[in-house]
Amino acid sequence: MEELKIGFYVCNCGTNIAHTVDVEGVKEVAAQWPEVAIARSYRYMCSNPGQEMIVNDIRELGLNRVVVAACSPRMHELTFRNACRLGGLNPYLFEMANIREQCSWVHTDKLVATEKAKALARGAVNRVRHHEPLDPLSAEMCPETLVLGGGIAGLTAALELALAGHPVHLVEKSDRLGGNIARVDLTAPYFYSARDLLADRLTRLRATPNVSVHLHTQLKNLSGFIGNYTATLETGNGDSAPRQKTIHIGNVIVATGYKEFDASRITHYGYGKLPNVITSFEFEQMLRSGRIQTQSGRPPRYVAIIHCVGSRNREFHSYCSRVCCMTALKYARELKSALPECYVSDIYIDMHAFGKGCEDFYRKSSEVKTLFLMYGKNEQPVIRKADAKDDCEMLIEVDEKLSGERIEIPADMVILMVGMEPRPDAGEVAHLVNISHDKDGWFIESHPKLDPVATTTEGIYIAGTCAAPKDIPDTVAQARAAAARILARIAKGKIEIDGVFAEVDPERCSGCRMCNELCPYSAIEFDAQAKRSHVIPAVCKACGCCVAACPSGAIKGRHFTDQQIYAQIEGVLA
Amino acid sequence: MAIRVNPKLIDDLERYGAEDVQKCYHCGNCSAVCTHVEPGFVFPRKPMRLLQMGLEQRLESSLEPWLCYYCGQCSSQCPRGAEPGETMMSLRRWLTSRYDFTGISRLFYGSWKAEVAAIALVGLLTAFGFLLYGFSHGNLRIYDGPGAFLPSPVVHRFDWTMAAVLVVLLAINAGRMWWFTTGGNPRIRAPFSAYLLQLYMLPVQFFTQKRYAECQSKRPWFLHLWLMLSYLTMLVLIMFFLRVVQAGPQIRWSAHVFGYLASVGLLGAVGYAIYGRSKKTEIHLRHSHESDWIFLLMLLGVTLTGVLQHILHRSGAAMAANVAYVVHLGLVVPMLSLEVPFSKWAHLAYRPLGMYLAQVHRAATARAASVVPSPETVRIAS
Amino acid sequence: MSFEPKIVGFLCNWCSYTGADLAGTSRIPYPANVRIIRVMCSARIDPTFVVQALAQGADAVLICGCHPGDCHYSEGNYKAMRRFPLLKQLLKAYGVEDDRVRQTWVSASEGQRFAEIVTDLTERVRALGPSRIHPELLNDQRER
Repeated sequence: MEELKIGFYVCNCGTNIAHTVDVEGVKEVAAQWPEVAIARSYRYMCSNPGQEMIVNDIRELGLNRVVVAACSPRMHELTFRNACRLGGLNPYLFEMANIREQCSWVHTDKLVATEKAKALARGAVNRVRHHEPLDPLSAEMCPETLVLGGGIAGLTAALELALAGHPVHLVEKSDRLGGNIARVDLTAPYFYSARDLLADRLTRLRATPNVSVHLHTQLKNLSGFIGNYTATLETGNGDSAPRQKTIHIGNVIVATGYKEFDASRITHYGYGKLPNVITSFEFEQMLRSGRIQTQSGRPPRYVAIIHCVGSRNREFHSYCSRVCCMTALKYARELKSALPECYVSDIYIDMHAFGKGCEDFYRKSSEVKTLFLMYGKNEQPVIRKADAKDDCEMLIEVDEKLSGERIEIPADMVILMVGMEPRPDAGEVAHLVNISHDKDGWFIESHPKLDPVATTTEGIYIAGTCAAPKDIPDTVAQARAAAARILARIAKGKIEIDGVFAEVDPERCSGCRMCNELCPYSAIEFDAQAKRSHVIPAVCKACGCCVAACPSGAIKGRHFTDQQIYAQIEGVLA
Repeated sequence: MAIRVNPKLIDDLERYGAEDVQKCYHCGNCSAVCTHVEPGFVFPRKPMRLLQMGLEQRLESSLEPWLCYYCGQCSSQCPRGAEPGETMMSLRRWLTSRYDFTGISRLFYGSWKAEVAAIALVGLLTAFGFLLYGFSHGNLRIYDGPGAFLPSPVVHRFDWTMAAVLVVLLAINAGRMWWFTTGGNPRIRAPFSAYLLQLYMLPVQFFTQKRYAECQSKRPWFLHLWLMLSYLTMLVLIMFFLRVVQAGPQIRWSAHVFGYLASVGLLGAVGYAIYGRSKKTEIHLRHSHESDWIFLLMLLGVTLTGVLQHILHRSGAAMAANVAYVVHLGLVVPMLSLEVPFSKWAHLAYRPLGMYLAQVHRAATARAASVVPSPETVRIAS
Repeated sequence: MSFEPKIVGFLCNWCSYTGADLAGTSRIPYPANVRIIRVMCSARIDPTFVVQALAQGADAVLICGCHPGDCHYSEGNYKAMRRFPLLKQLLKAYGVEDDRVRQTWVSASEGQRFAEIVTDLTERVRALGPSRIHPELLNDQRER
């Protein structure tokens, strides 16, 4: 066993720690602990001089373990691990004691807080003795990519990868490419034609040889890990027996899109019963055909547009579907320009006009005399058929909030802005590729702010509306971001797998197979020949549940071993 | 009971000067900055909302447009350029035309050409009438004394007759205003005592316009008061002291000094207003409806011709003075008989009446709130 | 001098440890009796950790994980949920009161709640008095 030389550093953090914890006292006590070669205190350990102190001590004093008692490891563990690396020490031979967020900031009695800080520091020092150097592993990166979904997200991502020179398999469930954007006429707020956008993608797609398009195809199985996936695709259009095909890919982009809310679920809107109540997609069809007319074939004199159908509603979906407000304004503008005599009412809860050009778009739709009527989330409008003597087909009754009056709005046509929902097969897809979805059914990204296209499963990316409602610019941005991430990985050639994972000791493994089923990532394989289980390091996420569960104690959780934790327990209780 | 929305009203109001109402998105900045807003009378946002939605009945029964003095702060705060100040002005014009039972007001606001034609017609008829009288009873070369072309007792009797007709017309329209807003309004049950107790407001507001002084800047209030007092001075001189002021050709300073002060005041204020409207120097002068110009030009014409005939009279040019006098009368009569009951000048009655009735409404609301609340009264109290 | 219990807390990195950090950034005070040990997931917490803590002199043990359904590793907290009732039954036989081992869920946004849990646990254990079982357990532990 090597001689341990532990460097102990305690931070003042200005006065954040020092005003409650006697930092010098902690330092002095730590200096007395066995194998502590040096104990220092400093104002801001995370600063450049603070880090340099660690680097220099490692080099000059030959330290082989470092402990920093400071803020939360969630704040600066990476900072100090990096400092160790710079000093030439393996970054995993480092431990932190949290004496700020979990000590000085929550306790007021100085004596008590100092005693606790000493105990936490002791725990860290005890633990670090049992740390081992850990190095990342390396694996091959297959440059082929699987893109699930042939909508604008899938098409964009596939193009991006193909034009960079890498093979792509574009898998689409239905019989054609385009997804939901193929059902749209013009887009808000600049009135670009969706057809042109799509045509552009499809033309460029056909021009590149790198994309294999698989229509009528679904993913049936996915196994492996990043850089080394095996996917089974099944193609079947109902006429003949389904055919299966196996492909090898390095990464997957899930771009399966959304489906619209079924408006007939809201009975008081009369969708499906009243002939002139239509959804936004049905209106798009009218716009594409160039004829806006009611069921009786005449152009409407009064049109009402209702926002938040199925969205922002506790009964159906509490989230906002994001694109409907601007789409509704788009309809108002298009109606006014096609039928200048038509009176358009826009019945909304709040106007979400968040992106580029959207506030101006809102103002312009005010200028063309769209009548905006506000209703409350919990007091939805009710649509009924008008009497024969009225000059309109239907009447919409609602409590209007901006005037405080209960009003009746005439309407010959009502357009329901139906919200977005996850597709019914979203759960199945998530399960196949091993990603999670939230309570609304949208796929979950690795970090909602800092990592929007990756998932917790390495090599699986999500892009577009399958992750959450969004508009075309954001969808395209995400698709290109996912493609860029994959291109970066492919460029590296090999992938680096973090050195923290679980390991099965084949000597101790009894082959009971309990761990295989327990692992949520299916990272533990059973070798039927050797009758032992074995963890695939690249897939293992180091949660540790197999470690705790193994009845033989055969699985070691790297960097969270039983020994390390026992030592820490002993230290905090000393 | 739901009220039907009428999206067409906003098109009609364009003729009255409301061009940008549809831009309002109800942020409420205008009502936040207005110094006259109080519970029960929230403006300009509420009238703008009623207008956007075409709730004519509610608009007709609202007093808010008359509580506004168009200081223009709301328009300068508006982030969307919806011109709430000008909208309130348009609503005043619209209400003027609604209160008027004859329909003449609606005609005038709808077409400035009709108004000008009517002015020309009445003016020419007046001039003709006076010329006829003058030539049949007097001598064009004589201004004062026997044989005077237009003796003051005659003009005096004519003035009072015309005044009586105007007062009757205006009173009928003011009565309609009361009916729409208060008497016939089922939401307001005002006790008689409120009417009596608040009566003092009518003369106070009329003479001092002290609420105007509560707006952000005192300058518009001061200028308007100056204009109004000048005009009132002139009116009092003409109605009660015509013989005295018309006696000449010597100047009688004890009487004429008031006339001179009033003329200076009138010319100054009108000149300022014309300049301001042309150059759009202040917020409330940026928008000018035709009725605004007609009013100012008429007032200018009347004042100038009045001054002219006075100067000519006092300097001995009796014939020229008589001609100027006829022209002057040809302008005064249409100005008073058309502008007062049917056009912009009607605000002299409606505004003080509006403020008086607002006090009555407050008393009615206070009484309703102290009674066991029914759903309707609760609504009013909020 | 009232008795000051020693409590060891095992908190999972993604939810409860972050929640405890949030109590810190929000400066929400709570008693200083708890010493927190970080694991990546509540599923890592071996029952022997609890036993070892009690053996080393802890008067109580707090186990915190993510709320069911929110586990960063998808189902780790369900596994933890299954283990500890069983352990508590066993510990009862050793005379360890029910209140001394608490398993609860704290999300990353529940700083206030974490402080409340620690305060409540500290008071309960203070009322119970010092843990009386450690010498016996310690003997059992040595074999491992």
